[in-house]
This record gives sequence, structure tokens and C-alpha cells, in this order.
Amino acid sequence: MDQIALMKIFVSESEDLLANLEQGLMSLEADTADDEVIHMIFRVAHTLKGNAGITGIDAIVSFAHVMEGVLDRVRSHALPVSHELITLLLNAGDVLKEMVSAAAAGAVVTLTEEHQLVLDRFAPFAGDGAAKAEAGADATSPRAPSGPSVFAIDMRFREDIFATGQDPALLLQELGALGEVLQIQTDVSRLPPLDQAEATRCYLSWRMLLSTNASRSDLEAVFLFVMEDNEIRIEDVTKSFAGRREAQAADKKLGELLVEQGVVQQADVLEVVSAQRKVGELLIEAGKVKRDELNKVLAKQEAARRVRQNSSIRVDTDKLDGLVNLVGELVICVAQVNQNARDAAATHEARIAAAEVLVQISRDLQDQAMSLRMVPVRETFDRFKRAARDVAEQLGKFVIVEATGIETELDKNVIEQLADPLKHMIRNCISHGIESPAERIAAGKSDTGRVFLRAAQREGRIIIEVADDGRGVDPERVLAKARELGLVPPGKTLSEREIYELLFAPGFSTAAQVNEISGRGVGLDVVKRNVQELRGTVEIESELGKGTTFRIRLPLTLAIIDGMTAKVGPETVTIPLLAVIELIEPAAGVIKTVAGKGELVDVRGELLPMVRLSDVFDFPRADPKTVESKVVVVENQGRKFGVMVDRVLGMEQAVIKPLDRSFALFSRLDGRYERPEGIAGATILGDGSIGLILDVHGIERMAFGGDRDPRDTREARAGRDARDGRVGAAA
Amino acid sequence: MPKTVLSVDDSPSIRQAVKLTLGSKGYVVREADGGKQALQICAAEPVHLVITDLNMPEMDGIELIRHIRALSAHRFTPILMLTTESQADKKSQGKAAGATGWIVKPFTPDQLVAVVQRVLPPG
Repeated sequence: MDQIALMKIFVSESEDLLANLEQGLMSLEADTADDEVIHMIFRVAHTLKGNAGITGIDAIVSFAHVMEGVLDRVRSHALPVSHELITLLLNAGDVLKEMVSAAAAGAVVTLTEEHQLVLDRFAPFAGDGAAKAEAGADATSPRAPSGPSVFAIDMRFREDIFATGQDPALLLQELGALGEVLQIQTDVSRLPPLDQAEATRCYLSWRMLLSTNASRSDLEAVFLFVMEDNEIRIEDVTKSFAGRREAQAADKKLGELLVEQGVVQQADVLEVVSAQRKVGELLIEAGKVKRDELNKVLAKQEAARRVRQNSSIRVDTDKLDGLVNLVGELVICVAQVNQNARDAAATHEARIAAAEVLVQISRDLQDQAMSLRMVPVRETFDRFKRAARDVAEQLGKFVIVEATGIETELDKNVIEQLADPLKHMIRNCISHGIESPAERIAAGKSDTGRVFLRAAQREGRIIIEVADDGRGVDPERVLAKARELGLVPPGKTLSEREIYELLFAPGFSTAAQVNEISGRGVGLDVVKRNVQELRGTVEIESELGKGTTFRIRLPLTLAIIDGMTAKVGPETVTIPLLAVIELIEPAAGVIKTVAGKGELVDVRGELLPMVRLSDVFDFPRADPKTVESKVVVVENQGRKFGVMVDRVLGMEQAVIKPLDRSFALFSRLDGRYERPEGIAGATILGDGSIGLILDVHGIERMAFGGDRDPRDTREARAGRDARDGRVGAAA
Repeated sequence: MPKTVLSVDDSPSIRQAVKLTLGSKGYVVREADGGKQALQICAAEPVHLVITDLNMPEMDGIELIRHIRALSAHRFTPILMLTTESQADKKSQGKAAGATGWIVKPFTPDQLVAVVQRVLPPG
């Protein structure tokens, strides 16, 4: 096997191993006594070390070796699993990942100073039996290369050593070939005055400091024939040597020294460091680079990362088989349709039958093809587990992430676009929701907070929840803050749900201090916008002292929606069925006009604001005599309103085609193209014409203005007042 | 210049194995079927390493080592003896006689090479 193929196999296997390691460590944190997981983690380090050995990546060998040693102690219950140890092992996993990707990129993998720092942190876990364990381990795997150790070797040979055919010079050379001689001292104290010295006798002694990957027994093998009759002492001084190097404070980072000296806490250092601005920002400030240039480069970097991450997808072979079967059926059916079309004798029934089969097959084909893009949320959730832990670590909190419904499948694009919002919500849960360990204990909870990631498919939608068992959201506090920010006019009362909705308002933050973890301008409003772009909704539920739940509802797939098609003026529009609640016949008295302007629709006593689509899009109002107007009651984020259309055509699945740039409006505000408000996209209808897919959220904004609660508009207020019996409904 | 190894053994198959193994590593291997022939070669030809069996008719290995060490040309020549695990006393006798080291039988070609290279790096 050639070297490149060997490397490929190594990289791919290592990536899997390291993913297992991370998962194992995460589950170990939940159950520190799970021997099976401990063994699995040990095997990962062990296998990785062996593989790297064969592949010739010494840096990984030596790194994995240290991990293996510590994990061996965990395995034999000599070392308890602690939070600190898991953190360290996770960090070590990161280092190995780095090394593996360096190897994948064809770079020479070296043990950098940073890597060494991680490695050094293993020292307290290695135990005082480390040297013994190493010697013991060598008995079982004598050829396994060990980590770079430093040995002090004292050699005091018998004066007549030459008479046995031995040559100390050979021994020194052989030692030198095993590693790097850091220092060699020659002891000449036994040397007699020259006139008494005999050339055939050995008067010299040596002390060598050798840095080597070889084990103690490898060194002892060098002295195989002279061990018994000469004074040879081999001492592993790796630790004290490292200690001495550590003492050279010049090599250390200031932050570490401060922590070591107890001047500051580790968390403080991390906080300050993470608040440090990025290189790009600093360069801009220094006038070295223009922002748009920087943005261009950043975009390139992002694109490159995306290409690297998203270039492939794993598809269940069952799905592929199903697809191929369907294509086979399609070919047969097309032949039949073709034949019917040319055969004058074919009956009408036969043609209809063949067409029906074709419809069925194409629908199945569509489902099957879409399912190829569906991937389980498992991997994404696993990634967040790790991210959550890192955040908690920075904030000095204990958090366990519990994921359920991990087999739930989501469109790959949806998962990717959901990653950022989810990450943000998880961070939000940990930084705002989960209390500090002390607070939790005071509140009678376990010191370890829980963050729940749940995925499920219900009623044709994907529900994703991010929840915590933290302090919950205090509606009073949110409301007070919102009033302070002028988001809520004084005197106005809001329901709890409306108050939670305020959390998604741009610029809203209840955090006493903006911190790096969640905040810094990027708020939940961005989360909401991202989710809306996926045609989903997000809401918050919370109970003070019990916890908070973010709930995202998403359509199953991005590309196809179930819609209700309707005629408005000359256009055919599709209203996403997701938003449709019911259809109302605008019988006499159902539509009421208030104050000469706003219209309301009376839905069994509930007055909802209503808008005529033809008004929204500036189509001429159709002649009431020629149309069968209907009011479609739709919902946007819990707010209902009516949309009047000229005629309802039926239900249809619509394949969404994004609007081309020529349809889009150029926004002077931020120099980007935006799709026209109220339109989510276009679709090709059964008769070949083009239909517009409505964006209910946009319609609401256009009709009732701003991003406000429709009940806040004049009409809506009138409606509410009417409902409350303050104003009589107008005809 | 290649280094010469003298293989002393009454078993031709051992001598053959030593010859093949070390020959492939660049050593010149001379053979002797016993102590007497070995001493003749040592006296007349350049020999850089002697590998000798201990149990041989005529002259046993310990005696051979003593004789070789007595030759002024071979005061410092490395001498390896072939022993078995059970011959701990022979090992110390051999060392006292001036042997440099030992190879425990049975041995693999790799083990032989490793030990030989330790006392006599190839030229």
C-alpha cells in the first residue's frame, strides 16, 4: 500500500475515533462509572497511538501515549473520573484533531509548544507509578514507542571493561542513536596521573541526559551485557526536567503564571482573553485594512470552510435502492404512456390509468429524492453537547446536555442553517438560564444544570426544543426592561406569551452585562430571523425557577410546501398550509368595517383584523359579482388575521423556486438585494403558469405595519375594544 | 572494509544460519567446527568478532574463550557465546573467561543481528 493511501485510511479512521472519543467523554460526564465507555475511550487512545506509529506520525504517537497512560489508570480505577480530567481529555482530543487534519493536509505533524502545554497538564493525573507503569507496559508491548522522556543515565564502567570485548564508546553511540543527547558530562576523577595510566583501562565515567521516545527497557537493552558488572543507573527525570523547564517562566504565558500564582482565576483569564478582539478588528482599527476588504476575505474563508464541511452527505443504502427501484418503474410507465399516446386504438380509460400511475410514481420519486437530503440530528446535537460544555466551563457552571429524538431526520440544508440559531439558544440557556452552582444549591437544585436538546416530528413538522432547568425568565423583569427600552408603551398590558415574544425583539437583552458567550449585539432577534428564513417559528416558554424552553417549529423540508392556492386579481398565489388555520365564507355580517378604514372578520365571535390581498399587492379589486371571495384565517407567531382572496382553487404541493435577482429589490440601506416583501418565492403551477408563494409574516408587516403585534394597530385595537364590548361593531 | 565474524559450532546448521543471517548484513563470516580450528583461524586471519557455542566436543566454549583472550591480537575482540536459558552458571563462567555477551538459544535472525550490531557495528 502506498503512503498516500495509508495516510487517507489513517485520517478517516482517526476522525471517527476522535468523534467517538468526544462522545464517550460527554457520556462519561453523565455517568462517570460507565466502565464500558471508559474502555472504549482507552481503546481509542490505544488504537490511535498504534495507527500513528504505523503511519509514522510520531507527534501523535507520543501525544496519544500520554493519554493512554492516564486512561489506563482510569480503567484500572486507580484514577477517578473528574470534571477536570474530562476537560483535559477533551482538550487533548482537540489537539489530536488538529494533528490529524494537519496530517490530512500533508503537513508535517509536530508537537508544538501549545500541544506540549496540554500534555503537561496530564502530569498530575499520571500518578507516581508512571515510571513503573511504563516499564510494565513495555513488557506487554516492547516495541511500542513511548512518549519523549528524559532519562539521566549514569555509567561507571569497570576499569577492565575492554578486556571483555566491550567498548563504552559503542554504548554511548548507541544511546545517542536512540534520541537526542541533551547533555553529557564526563567524570575524570578516576583518571590517574598520566604516567600511571594504562591505555587499555577505562578510567572515565559518564552522565548523560537523553531525551528519547525509547522506553526504559530499550535503554536497559543497550547495557544488556554490562548491567551486572558495571555501575549503570538509569533514571527517568522527565517530570523534574519538565518542572525545571516550567520554572523558566519566560517560556510561559502571563495568564498561566498568574493563575499558577493564584493571582487570578482561570475563568477570569479566559474571560479576558475571549473578550479580546479578533485580529481583523484590530487591523481595521490600525488602519491596515479596510472593512470591506476584510469582509471579502472573511467571506472567502467562510466559503472555503463550508465547502470543506458540507461537500458530502451519507445516504442510507436503502434509500438509494428505493430510488433506483422507482426509476425502474418510471421507465416502464413512461413507455406505456408513450405507447398510449401513439396508439389511436388506446381507450381513454387506459390513458387515464397510465397517467395516474405516472402521477403516483413521480410523487413517490419526489418523496424518495427529498429523503436523500434528510439526515438525523444526532451529529449536530453531539456537536452542541461539546459546545455547551465549553461555554459552561468558561462560566464556571456545571452543565449536562441531554439529547432526545436524535434519530429525527431533517433536511440537510435546514440542519446547517439551524446550527447558528441553536448554538445561540444553547448559549443563552447556559449563560442566562442555568444558575451558578452556588445559586442552584441555594435554590434546592443539583449543582449541575441540565440543558435538553429535543427533536421530534409531529403533525408534519419538525419540533426542536432547547430547554434548561435554570432560573427561568421573569416576565416582570422582561416587561420592565422592554418599557425602559420603549418597546412597550406605558400602561399597556401584555400576556405572558407576548412578554416572552419581546425577548426576540431587536436589541433586547436582559443580561445585566453583555458578555462574549451570548450577547454582543447578536441577540435572539437573529435567531428568530434565521428560523423564519427556514419558514419556521420560534417561541419561548418559561416557568420562573423551573427553567426555560425554546421551541422551534419547522417544515419538514425547505424545497416543497403544502399550500392552498388561490386567485387574487390576475395572479395565482399559494399560501403555505402551515400558516392556514381555517377558511371563512364572507357571509353577510362577517366582515365589519371600523372607523371607515380597517376591516375585521368575525370568526365565531372572535374579531380578527383582515386584509384584502388585492390591496396589499395593489391589484385592482375584483368585481364582487364575478368572484367567490373567501377569507383565509392565517397565523403568524400566534397572531391570527384574515386574508381575503378572490377565489380558492385548492390544495397543491408547491416546489419553491427562489425568486431570481431580477425580481428582487435593491436595498440602498445595506447594499443587498432583497426579495419583495410578502413573497417567499415562486412556483410552477400544474398548468405551467407561475404562482407566487406568500410570506405570511411579510403580509402581516405590509398590512399592519412594522413588526408589531397586529392587535396593536388601530384596527386591531378597535377589534379588541369591540370584543371587550367597549365599542359596538360597525356594519 | 567488511568486518569478519568467526562462527564456531559443531552443528553445521547453526553455522549456516549465522552465515546467511550476518552475510546479508554485510559481514564476512568464517566457520570453524570446533575450538581447535577456531584458534587456528584467530591466529592467522583478521577476526573482529567470535560467536561460539558452549557445548562442543574436544574443547568447550569456555576454554576457547580463555584461549582467544590470551592471544594478544584478541585481547579486546568481542566474543559472544550461545547459551540456553538454563545455563546461568555457564554465563558467569563465560564472562569470567572474558566473553563480551551472550545470545540465548533459540534465537531469531533479527535477534542475532541486533546483538551482533551492538558489539560490532558493520564496517
